[in-house]
Amino acid sequence: MKLTLAKASLIRHRSRTILAVLGVAIAAAMLLDMVMLASGMRESFRQLLMSRGFEIRLAPKGTLPFDTDATIPNVRAVTEVLRGNPDIEMISPVMGASIHIPVGERNVSSAALGIDPSVQGDYELLSGGDVTRADAIVANDYLLEQLGAEIGDTLDVGTGYDPQTRSYTGQRRLVVTGRVRFLYGATQQPGSAMRRETLEGMVGPERRDRASLFMVSLREGSDAEQVRGWIAAQLPNVTAISIATAIAQVDQRLSYFRQLAFILGAVSLFVGFLLVTTLVTVSVNERAGEIAVMRAIGVSRAHVVQQIVIEGVAISMAGAVAGLALGLVTARYLNEILSAFPGLPMAIDFFLFQPRAAWSALGLLVVSGIGAGIYPAWRAASLPIAESLRREAIA
Amino acid sequence: MFISAIAALSAVLLVQDSTPAQPAASPAPAPRTIAIDEAFAEAANLNVGDHVTISAQPGTEAAKAESVVVGAIFRRGADPSEVARGDFKVRLHLDQLQRISGYGDRVDRFAIATTDSADIAPTLERVNRQAFGFRAYHSRDIAVETSRTFLVVSRFHRAIGVITIVASSVFLLCIMVLKVEERRRDIAALRLMGISRSSVAQSIVIEAALVALLGSALGVLLGWAASLFVNSHYKALYQTPLEFSIITGPIVAFAVSLSLVLGIAAGLAASLRLVRTPPLTLFGR
Amino acid sequence: MTGTSIVSLREVKRDYVLGAERVHALQGVTLDVAAGDYVAIAGPSGCGKSTLLNLIGVIDQPTAGTVSVGGRRVDGMSDREATMFRLHSIGFVFQRFYLMPILSALENVALPMAEAKVPARQRIERAAELLDYVGLSSRMNHRPSELSGGEQQRVAIARAIANKPSLVLADEPTGELDAHTGAEIIALFRRLNTDGTTIIVVTHDEELADAAHRQIHMRDGRIVGDAFEV
Repeated sequence: MKLTLAKASLIRHRSRTILAVLGVAIAAAMLLDMVMLASGMRESFRQLLMSRGFEIRLAPKGTLPFDTDATIPNVRAVTEVLRGNPDIEMISPVMGASIHIPVGERNVSSAALGIDPSVQGDYELLSGGDVTRADAIVANDYLLEQLGAEIGDTLDVGTGYDPQTRSYTGQRRLVVTGRVRFLYGATQQPGSAMRRETLEGMVGPERRDRASLFMVSLREGSDAEQVRGWIAAQLPNVTAISIATAIAQVDQRLSYFRQLAFILGAVSLFVGFLLVTTLVTVSVNERAGEIAVMRAIGVSRAHVVQQIVIEGVAISMAGAVAGLALGLVTARYLNEILSAFPGLPMAIDFFLFQPRAAWSALGLLVVSGIGAGIYPAWRAASLPIAESLRREAIA
Repeated sequence: MFISAIAALSAVLLVQDSTPAQPAASPAPAPRTIAIDEAFAEAANLNVGDHVTISAQPGTEAAKAESVVVGAIFRRGADPSEVARGDFKVRLHLDQLQRISGYGDRVDRFAIATTDSADIAPTLERVNRQAFGFRAYHSRDIAVETSRTFLVVSRFHRAIGVITIVASSVFLLCIMVLKVEERRRDIAALRLMGISRSSVAQSIVIEAALVALLGSALGVLLGWAASLFVNSHYKALYQTPLEFSIITGPIVAFAVSLSLVLGIAAGLAASLRLVRTPPLTLFGR
Repeated sequence: MTGTSIVSLREVKRDYVLGAERVHALQGVTLDVAAGDYVAIAGPSGCGKSTLLNLIGVIDQPTAGTVSVGGRRVDGMSDREATMFRLHSIGFVFQRFYLMPILSALENVALPMAEAKVPARQRIERAAELLDYVGLSSRMNHRPSELSGGEQQRVAIARAIANKPSLVLADEPTGELDAHTGAEIIALFRRLNTDGTTIIVVTHDEELADAAHRQIHMRDGRIVGDAFEV
């Protein structure tokens, strides 16, 4: 009966109900998006960092990986030190450099990584073969497109390009063996990789035996923070970054988005709450007489409140369901905008749908819908019956 | 035409605190000075006159590192592309930076100031025609290129803004329709008293407009307060003089007119429906 | 009389505060109504007759004095007790019918039974029987807006007796109806009374008052006349 009454009451003012559901839906969509934004970035970044199982990264002291041109000297020595820790399973030194490839009159520049293909964790091979030979190079689609090259083509690759003399400090002929996708590459950023020895041979003596980054994977069951501390003590010239510290760094850098998400999420929730409160208040005021009559014929206060609250909940739930769909669509659109954020890996999603976060956000909205209904309903159900009836009769 | 040219070279520096130079027996050449930015000074607890060692590579042997004195602390200009990066800035004498970074006689860029009357486009063209191995750009274009972060964020803000406007439109419409519907009895009473439909509708629309105006005024105040808060918060957080939120006349005008239009539209829609309904039906529901 | 009285008021006073003024709506009313009686309370507007009815119906509480209904003291009842009491022991009929506009006639009659936790099938059956009793078996699924005033009032009467109360209170039940429809309602009340329900009506309608066994006249919050049918 309560459901029938609530349903009938909502249908009675159809346009009003639709408008309210729409309003709540937009608030719900916004709330969902903001929850996705607040937690998504961090989770997405964590997934990305974990994707290849390298729990610790070593960067030159005071820097983040590839944030600057600084390098770590003595790769061999550092590797030896790291091997001394039984918790460390795999060590992958990575060298970064800029390479230049002449294409006709043009000169295409790209970031290049010098890696060991057997332990690398920077890219995944899409087609072709890895850099097993010294004269092999793999490239991402963006670079191949810029070069107009494909697998099997031979490229003249140089480093240390001097535009004034149009000469290179190191040049080598390399064969494209594969198409790859760089896990940490930003959008529209040309990228390539070759064996570390190959790149080292091209960059000149001052960068020999240096690495821009070490990626370190640990044996199962070992404590990343403990190993990180050990590395920091052993190698004072490097900054060891565990996934937790990396996430903390990213958190700090992108705190603006989290705060924005928090503020807008709170505003959305409040707006949804206000909307339901207003609707229920108006609807209850209109029905003051009806409510008094229900009370007079023996309907309990609690039941009157329940019936009114059901209306608020119905609006919130319908709005939440519609908002879920709307929120996912807008999140996708907003994510597309933010994916162009410079310097961030393409694979990072600002908006990540996490069922638990989403359900709790929408649940919060429905709960606030209940809260929004309770006060006006209780007030209406507590009005003196005789007085309300008299007023109704006068009106 | 060229008044002055500033060469700039940027490199990563590692700055370490060092104990003040020992009073030497033989007078050593006085250390050069560097300028560091405010945020760096605060983070590293450095003051003017402090001695530090700088090098271009971490773990550089002492021979290659140089001892310098903090000669000045400066405040960075407002650069949107640097917001949220958390980098520190140090300014060195060009030759010193070239030496410690191993760049030799090279720079990253030349900044060229022109006389006020100079026409930029032909100047650029002339430089580029004669240039060998470099290219001249208008600073304004470079600024656009380097502030991609800023552009992405502002596109994001625009999108959020559109969503917010749609949301608040629906919200406003909803509230206004409810406000008017609340008056159904008054409307019925007015109609029964013999007041014409158009007069009743007009009075409702005027009331709706007034409510919208009052709400807008309150909203502008609230927005202004929020803007103050946002600015003070993010200025402190990112240590930048950038303004994060600016309320301009057109924004206020847009917000007020939007709410006014929606208020009037809602008032009109609801009042037309109500004045068409027979007054007794309004009473009886 | 007190042995079988269903309603018993002793020195009942009811004051209202209207703005800065204190209105004495009832100024010491003592009254007994026997079970199975049919009582009409008449008097000019503002004489306190509706207030009296509200006190008997436990939707209002006296400022002073005692009110007993069905042998139970109802003054000072908690809201919960009063609600339960109204639900099971009292039926209300209002001048303006006050049906739920969003429910059908059948649902309106079933509403108090739903509140009394009568199983769904049973209450639908009984609501249909009651509508048949008041002569509306063909209009069961109509909304109040689709019914005439007389029909609405008959639905309201069916609703009032849904939980088989021993007492039905009616406040100007014919006030909104024309003479012919009013007569039908009067007949219905009489039948209800014959079937054993105690009825108290507040009315201006002389025909309705004449139909009662006992007529009470009020003025300025006091009972000024009490006449039994001969």
